[in-house]
Amino acid sequence: MHPTKSGRWITQTVSSTYLTEAVAIWFRDLRSEFRTRYAVNSILMFALTTLVTVSFSIGSFRIEESERPFLYAVLLWIILVFSALSGLSRSFVKEQEAGTMDILKLSARPQAVFLGKLLFNLTMLGVLELIIVPAFILLMGYKIKFPGCFVAMMVTGGLGLGAGTTLVAAMIAQANARGALFSALSFPLLLPLIITAIKGSERAAYGISAAGWPEVKIAAAYAVIMITVSLLLFPLIWEE
Amino acid sequence: MCFLKVTGIGKHFSTTILFKDISFALNSGDVMAITGWNGSGKSTMLRIIAGLVRPSAGQVEMFCDNKPIPKKFRRQYVGMVAPALALYDELTALENMEFFCRVRGIAYDRKSCFNILERVDLVKHAEKICGTFSSGMKQRLKLVQALIHKPPLLLLDEPGCNLDSRGIKSVKNIISDQRTWGITVIASNEKREVDYADSIVNLSN
Repeated sequence: MHPTKSGRWITQTVSSTYLTEAVAIWFRDLRSEFRTRYAVNSILMFALTTLVTVSFSIGSFRIEESERPFLYAVLLWIILVFSALSGLSRSFVKEQEAGTMDILKLSARPQAVFLGKLLFNLTMLGVLELIIVPAFILLMGYKIKFPGCFVAMMVTGGLGLGAGTTLVAAMIAQANARGALFSALSFPLLLPLIITAIKGSERAAYGISAAGWPEVKIAAAYAVIMITVSLLLFPLIWEE
Repeated sequence: MCFLKVTGIGKHFSTTILFKDISFALNSGDVMAITGWNGSGKSTMLRIIAGLVRPSAGQVEMFCDNKPIPKKFRRQYVGMVAPALALYDELTALENMEFFCRVRGIAYDRKSCFNILERVDLVKHAEKICGTFSSGMKQRLKLVQALIHKPPLLLLDEPGCNLDSRGIKSVKNIISDQRTWGITVIASNEKREVDYADSIVNLSN
């Protein structure tokens, strides 16, 4: 192609934005996932087997009614976090294993890659929560007095979980022993979020009134901070 | 017009020196070949020029229309084909092209993509999953991917690898086209590919 009338080469800067690049990566990942079903199978199988095990072994009758909101919140977030850890690292690891990492580095800006992968991981988490949370409530007889607060906690907790795991997935993609490293690095990063999400879910279930849903705000702040820091740090991780 | 200036480039891994103090300059229209023994660093040199790998010493500068192109924007000006660069096996040839168009901010046009695929004899396989392609077909699709944004700098690492006579002819045509307006750097030891070049840098020396 020849220079345009303005003398500039026809390149990406003409019409591409971070968002359009990120959306292209998101759609491509969804299309690949739809065909291979690798991450979704891994996440859902882990979540469903854990949920069934928990519901058979504990059920809704073995725990005192007063203790249920706390224990159920702990169990629900354990299932969600470990299910996410079982599959979300795939977003970057599969690029490394398939040898497509370099072509992606040449085609898209680092921040757009992060945003695209984050959108994909959030979609996976959204599907996971839409299936597992109602199933958990039904199987365990989980009574929630403030459903609005509970839903907000699931959404903000999911956002934080997605942001944290996406950053760690990018970090471990080029390392050996990725599986172990992913869990080991994610755990300390996600611990404040998990504690907050458990507390917020417990509060929603108990129906303890607190002005402004503090745990929801903390989880939202965690997600915003994690995404901002990731966008700043990701180019350093992505480029050799 | 674009200009590529490589000054004093060196690369070492731990205590192993791959190459050192390599310098050259290329203008639009130039075709250069990088040759050398296996393991001499031909592919690494191309990756350094593309900005995928940091050199241990020296620098790579690129100018277009007399303006310096910062390293973080260089990828927009580079098209690269290499054995280590893989396409998405679970997508069709057309879907791969659609992705690279969209991610590079090029308006996706199915008809134009078919025209490009026709140039590399892949139009019959446009809707087939890339995972089912032979290595030669994949190589031709890689060439399409490298040219989709019409890059002023084309980096070809063993471009004739796995190609039949028609594919090799396509490579020749691509290099001839690129010569009319852009820079081409070929890393190869194949005499046929080295013969396309005006100048040679031998990394074995």
